[in-house]
Amino acid sequence: MVIIGENIHVIAQAVSTAIKERDAKVIQDLAKAQTEAGADYIDLNVGPMKKDPEENMQWLVNAVQEATDLPLSIDTMNPVAMEAGLKACQKRPLLNSASGKTDSKEQMLPLAQKYNCNVVISVITDKGMPPDVDSKIESIMDTVTYANELGIPNEDIWVDPIILPVSTAGEGQRFAVVCLEFIKILEDVLPEIKSTVGLSNVSNGVPNELRPLLNRTYLVMLDRNGLYSAISDPLDKEFMALVKGKMPEIVELIYKTMDGEDIDLSSLSQKEVEYVKTAKVLTGENLYSDAWLES
Amino acid sequence: MEYKAPAEAYTGVVREVTIGKGNKSLKIGGENILPLHFFDQGSNPNPTKFALEVLDMEPQDWPEHLIQPFKDVIADPVKWARKCEELGADAVFLRLVSTDPAGKDSSADEAAALAKKVAEAINIPLIIYGSGDDKKDAEVLPKVAEACDGMNLLIGPVQKENYEIVGKALLDHGHDASALTPLDINLLKELNVKLCKFFPAEKIVIDPESAALGYGMEYSFSLMERVKQIGIITKDNMTMMPIIADLGGECWKTKQAKENKEQGLLWEGITALSLLMAGANILILRHPDTLSLVKETTEVK
Repeated sequence: MVIIGENIHVIAQAVSTAIKERDAKVIQDLAKAQTEAGADYIDLNVGPMKKDPEENMQWLVNAVQEATDLPLSIDTMNPVAMEAGLKACQKRPLLNSASGKTDSKEQMLPLAQKYNCNVVISVITDKGMPPDVDSKIESIMDTVTYANELGIPNEDIWVDPIILPVSTAGEGQRFAVVCLEFIKILEDVLPEIKSTVGLSNVSNGVPNELRPLLNRTYLVMLDRNGLYSAISDPLDKEFMALVKGKMPEIVELIYKTMDGEDIDLSSLSQKEVEYVKTAKVLTGENLYSDAWLES
Repeated sequence: MEYKAPAEAYTGVVREVTIGKGNKSLKIGGENILPLHFFDQGSNPNPTKFALEVLDMEPQDWPEHLIQPFKDVIADPVKWARKCEELGADAVFLRLVSTDPAGKDSSADEAAALAKKVAEAINIPLIIYGSGDDKKDAEVLPKVAEACDGMNLLIGPVQKENYEIVGKALLDHGHDASALTPLDINLLKELNVKLCKFFPAEKIVIDPESAALGYGMEYSFSLMERVKQIGIITKDNMTMMPIIADLGGECWKTKQAKENKEQGLLWEGITALSLLMAGANILILRHPDTLSLVKETTEVK
């Protein structure tokens, strides 16, 4: 599993201030910490970067490259900032992200071809977010075909099915199941293609202390179905232990839960029980509530 | 070859909740089939019940055609409740609107005394709701529970903000709890999980919020439908409780119901029938003619 470290993002006040005030240390510390934790890419999520996109992006990329040798994921919807970022990268970067929307096809995808980089392409199109597995596959096939025609090969494309919060009233659990199925059949439909997800969105809206458990469990489930990479938090130690195969018993339990096996909870430790209960929420077997560990 | 219609069998059973005591009691829930799926394997031992609503003070914003059937008793909640019994209601639903801090703000003690009087004056079970203000209800409902000690009434709304204090009082004085959440299945389950940590699941009724026709009824419909599916098909322990549909007040708030009587009856009647089909086990109505209309419709064999 390729981990794209998510911790440098402008929603964090410290990061946004550091960029504004050219305080490289704050950013470099985050980059170093993620590198040491075992991340494979460092994501630079700068949002729309409306002000001085070229200058800001160039500064940021250079600052991070001084602190880490990892390749970067340039995460912005502003094509000017995107190009400045890609241009400044020393290692082959990841363009994060393009979609099937007309403006993205016209402005983002050509950049991936021009700079010969990897590119995240989401299933979103001008019609919006396709709601089920079939429509997601249909949308992504159209956009991938378009990208292929521009000269971007499948192996450089990382498809993003767009994960939504599992806690969304009524629909959230269905979305979680849809993404699991999508990842499972993706490679059959588009050979050589890669995939990625914005993992922590699955736990958006959930009480903070419970979020990591959902993120970790969902990653194990997606991994089993063939997910290639995830934008996620490498500073969560238990998460990285799962990713690096250091908790095989927990992984095995999650697989058993996915397979609908009868599991005797009374024979398990509290931590194991929590993973089983969380997996049951993510497979849609048990109805979600914020108190899912308590029932 | 003879055709045999397929019949589903489900594993979940909605808990049967008893409201009231002795010959002043009724049962709701207990079904192990989806609403009106009489063709499947299983049964619904307790057909849907209907309660008529009584306010603890003279209504301020009711249209003339809704007041009319109760004209002679509307200033006296005890007489009003007796009238509901005469009119054929299965239960009386007493709403303590006078305790609303945004309105008359009458005291918890006054409300409790009245609740007891009403409970003793009728020969059918009583359901009591506070004003819905979670802070005030946390004062009022425990007093009501105490005054009506041991009568096994259905009392609510128990909400996320006050379930601990209200739930404990209901438990101490032997009542059922009506657990209210705002139109959201995940919150509904969460409240039941928390309540069940100290309150018996077989004394809980789910109030998922009942919106009126044209004002979001389809949300209430899908939610009730889903509660039943998740309880009866997938056997989710925390949704296998009967449902109360508190719909009369919502219907009579609408412009359409206020405009004229016939429209009002249809508004309340269609909402009631729809939610009945979605799986509500007890319906709260305001107009006695709606009660007759809905009973007549559902009793056709």
